[in-house]
Amino acid sequence: MRLEMGHIYIKDIQFAAESKIEDGILYVSEEAVKAVALEDEKIKSVSFDIAKPGESVRITPVKDVIEPRVKVEGRGGIFPGVISKVDTVGEGKTYALKGMAVVTAGKIVGFQEGIIDMTGPGADYTPFSKTLNLVMVCEPIDGIKQHEYEKAVRFAGFRVATYIGELARELTPDETKVYETCTIKEGMEKYPDLPRVAYVQMLQSQGLLHDTYVYGVDAKKIVPTILSPTEIMDGAIVSGNCVSACDKNPTYVHLNNPVVHDLFEQHGKTLNFVCQIITNENVYLADKQRSSDWTAKLCKMLDLDGVIVSQEGFGNPDTDLIMNCKKIEAEGVKTVIITDEYAGRDGKSQSLADADQAADAVVTGGNANQVVILPKLDKVIGTLDYVTKIAGASEETLREDGSLEVELQVLTGATNETGFNKLSAR
Amino acid sequence: MVKEIERAGIPVVHICTVTPISMTVGANRIVPAIAIPHPLGNPALDKDEEKELRRKIVEKALTALTTEVDGQTIFE
Repeated sequence: MRLEMGHIYIKDIQFAAESKIEDGILYVSEEAVKAVALEDEKIKSVSFDIAKPGESVRITPVKDVIEPRVKVEGRGGIFPGVISKVDTVGEGKTYALKGMAVVTAGKIVGFQEGIIDMTGPGADYTPFSKTLNLVMVCEPIDGIKQHEYEKAVRFAGFRVATYIGELARELTPDETKVYETCTIKEGMEKYPDLPRVAYVQMLQSQGLLHDTYVYGVDAKKIVPTILSPTEIMDGAIVSGNCVSACDKNPTYVHLNNPVVHDLFEQHGKTLNFVCQIITNENVYLADKQRSSDWTAKLCKMLDLDGVIVSQEGFGNPDTDLIMNCKKIEAEGVKTVIITDEYAGRDGKSQSLADADQAADAVVTGGNANQVVILPKLDKVIGTLDYVTKIAGASEETLREDGSLEVELQVLTGATNETGFNKLSAR
Repeated sequence: MVKEIERAGIPVVHICTVTPISMTVGANRIVPAIAIPHPLGNPALDKDEEKELRRKIVEKALTALTTEVDGQTIFE
């Protein structure tokens, strides 16, 4: 599959009478995006705001972060099975608006949403302090259930991102990158001497609003399968997650997954990037066993030499991670696993809930329990009502001077397990 | 907690869903539970069925507690 990715750099976002992109400036009609968000009758009201890097702004409770894209050539559309009709994506031509994001916020679960600081120490930890953010805070109608609220906000974010992406349809990209994978046979013939490497991506699928969707299918209902790695660039995988903010994958991370992009960088040079294998993290032991069995089976059938396995979330998914690692290694395929750590505030506790000797090559996204002080910022988009209840905060979080004493866990993307962050360890 | 209580000389049954973690942390008597969000129940069942299911798990745990084990044992 061959996908041309056109990058259009956005230098500024401004509210205006008409939505358009001109000279790298995104003009947004507030009225138009509000209408798009309010298409769902479950959303009572929505307010839009713009947060720019360096501003004294705190966004919370953050649900998802989305990069606007538009499919200009080839099969299907962005977010297949969710916004666009189901069709296999990942080939043709797609444009992405770089340097900006649509951020959805709302008090869905409250304690399972995150914080994005646009300045200060918090900004150093969240990758989304570097993007120009169009933030939408969605209020639901009265009497709505949490899972209906989650779904409404999830879809509203995708609709708005798609609306913004469409504005770029007729533009000329500032930069174009080509991503191409071979079929199995082509790859064997073209790169006979290069190691065959795949990416095993574990998707958060614990249920109770800890969910990910693949072509619109709830990932807890899939069995492990194979994707062409370009499919994710068209939004084949989206987040429906309300879970600890630091190590969940917002939709933005799925679209820009660094493991996929880095493997493409090495494709045909040091390795043959064979495919992406997706699996899940379910809450029944039988599911964990079946999914890890199948993942290992696929690695064997594809005659892989090595895989990179990334986790999403923490706790019991540590077992899925270790089961995948052990079983894939047992098939004679080398593994590197990417995770993060909950090693206590002093870093002295066991980092993962499970372990095995087969896991001898590990990349960490950092210790989510590490404490950080976030100074009071001038403006809050959303509400601070949940800031002492958010996972990684406590009753002592809000200090007298208005600053927050929190664990890194609260910051969206701070210890991301695909490497979409700044932290690591040696 | 399982290990510390056993260290004090009191046998422990660990009822848990993810038995591999229980094995890793060193529990000796392990009884599998239903699922992580509802270890001792199943909201998909009606009340009578669920009560029966719950009773069975507790009874199995009590049986495990009074069974001599030679090393780590999962009571399926």
